[in-house]
Amino acid sequence: MPDIMTRTLWEGRRALTGFTVGTALVGALYAGFYPQVADGAMGQAAQGFSPALRAALRMEDLTSAAGYLGSSVFGIIVPLIAVGWGIATGARAIAGDEEAGHLDLLLAHPVSRTKVVLHRFAALTAGAALIAGAVWVAMLAVRPGANLDDIGVDGFAAQCLALALLVVVFGTLALAIGAATGSRGAALGGSAATVVLTYAAQALAGQIGAGALRHLSPFHHYIGAEPLRHGFQWADLATLAGTALVLLVVAVTTFDRRDLAT
Amino acid sequence: MSEVIRLEELTKTYGRRRGLAGLDLTVAEGEVFGYLGPNGAGKSTTIRLLLDLIRPTSGRALLFGEDCRRAAVRLHRRIGYLPGDFMVAPHQRVDQCLGFLAALRSGVPKARVEELAGRLDLDLGARIGALSKGNRQKVGLVQAFMHRPDLLILDEPTTGLDPLVQHTFLDLVREAKQAGQTVFMSSHVLAEVEAVADRVGMIREGRLVALDTVARLRDLAAHDVEVAFVGPADHTGLAALPEVSDLVVDGVTARLRLSGSPDGLIRLLAGHHLARLRVTEPDLEHLFLAHYRTDDTVEADRA
Repeated sequence: MPDIMTRTLWEGRRALTGFTVGTALVGALYAGFYPQVADGAMGQAAQGFSPALRAALRMEDLTSAAGYLGSSVFGIIVPLIAVGWGIATGARAIAGDEEAGHLDLLLAHPVSRTKVVLHRFAALTAGAALIAGAVWVAMLAVRPGANLDDIGVDGFAAQCLALALLVVVFGTLALAIGAATGSRGAALGGSAATVVLTYAAQALAGQIGAGALRHLSPFHHYIGAEPLRHGFQWADLATLAGTALVLLVVAVTTFDRRDLAT
Repeated sequence: MSEVIRLEELTKTYGRRRGLAGLDLTVAEGEVFGYLGPNGAGKSTTIRLLLDLIRPTSGRALLFGEDCRRAAVRLHRRIGYLPGDFMVAPHQRVDQCLGFLAALRSGVPKARVEELAGRLDLDLGARIGALSKGNRQKVGLVQAFMHRPDLLILDEPTTGLDPLVQHTFLDLVREAKQAGQTVFMSSHVLAEVEAVADRVGMIREGRLVALDTVARLRDLAAHDVEVAFVGPADHTGLAALPEVSDLVVDGVTARLRLSGSPDGLIRLLAGHHLARLRVTEPDLEHLFLAHYRTDDTVEADRA
């Protein structure tokens, strides 16, 4: 039995390769700027920002390695690129394939709808792990040269694991919307809007006096407890994994009940 | 002979639009069944219900005595399906595509795939994306036939095929029948169904409007007759015959439609000198159109 999972990865290999290399390179590039930033240039610039803005951009502490990477590399650039891949992949997983007319043939074979969803989810998870793993390797590669030795190998691992789960959460959201509606546009739009809202909630909830709100944001569970500094945050990781699993259940049940679009 | 397909009061509505309205139909094992109707009549809807791609609003569909939905995965092992619009990912070679689909069925002998590809003149090394519509359809035919399924469900199988390949396709259907496989094929090109089908069902606006063997439908049908008289045509004589309709006389030539026994016509013509007589065997298309025309007339009369 060939798996639909490996097949899915193979069909998406170009995008996955591009995003893996791209995310790792961009991450490494920005991390490589740390020695210049540590000199204080950027810190001084940030001093001009209001405290609220600095908090929102996680720029309170730009001079420490963990503070700098947590605000720039892992605060916005890397997660947004990786989540972009996750959403595109999740939206394509069911709805995209359905709109392209590929699902009729696949599901006319001895393959259950549940199996297709699970394999597509597994492919998404494997891709997310690959991207996060590549970022981890890139960070370890630039760590000695960029004075990032304050952050342990496990600190990077903790943050990259959280990154993988963040990608899985949003990818599964897109997969679930697509599985429920059959519309790739709805899957892309709905999850992109959720990314923006939850990112804003994580960044701004404290500023608008609604700190509890940020617990609803996957971004808070991804980086709120600063894994680079404090290592693996198991409760946060479990929350992200649990969210993805709930979305997966929604995807399986809704997809199994509806008619496929022609 | 056991039933392979059984539809009971099968109904499918899309919002307010009716896809199928209480369809009852059975297809026996080893039968080649032609499922005819114009586009939008409900042919693909029926087929997608059989494959559990969509679910009935009411009624049920059974394959090999099992519910299409509950036993979907098991049933699909015994089915070869050609979708009406055969679409697969373009960035792969034909053999990769067929290999993947075969593997979903726990493998198909390579020789079988090569044999089918050879007969259909399909290049296994070509990229799917670079294929013409007709060649893509050949990939669809190969994947439907390659595992020698008990039931072939083919939605508009000859779309885009050139006449030579259509011929090969008909051979494949005949071979399947000889091997005891059941074939359910839809079409709006009636000639291709006529050539291989044992029975034909005609569907229109979600209802089965005719169901019979090809032989019987042909018997019921009118013949088109063209007679050239030596001297003026016997208009009055022809018009008086009850079996004759649609009579057009143009000088020495008369064109008419003959339904039922030819006896009266032959006796009348025997009293005349004829230059030419041509009787055309009706194809299903004419039958089909005649059938529809009758319905339309009935509706027009009511209105």
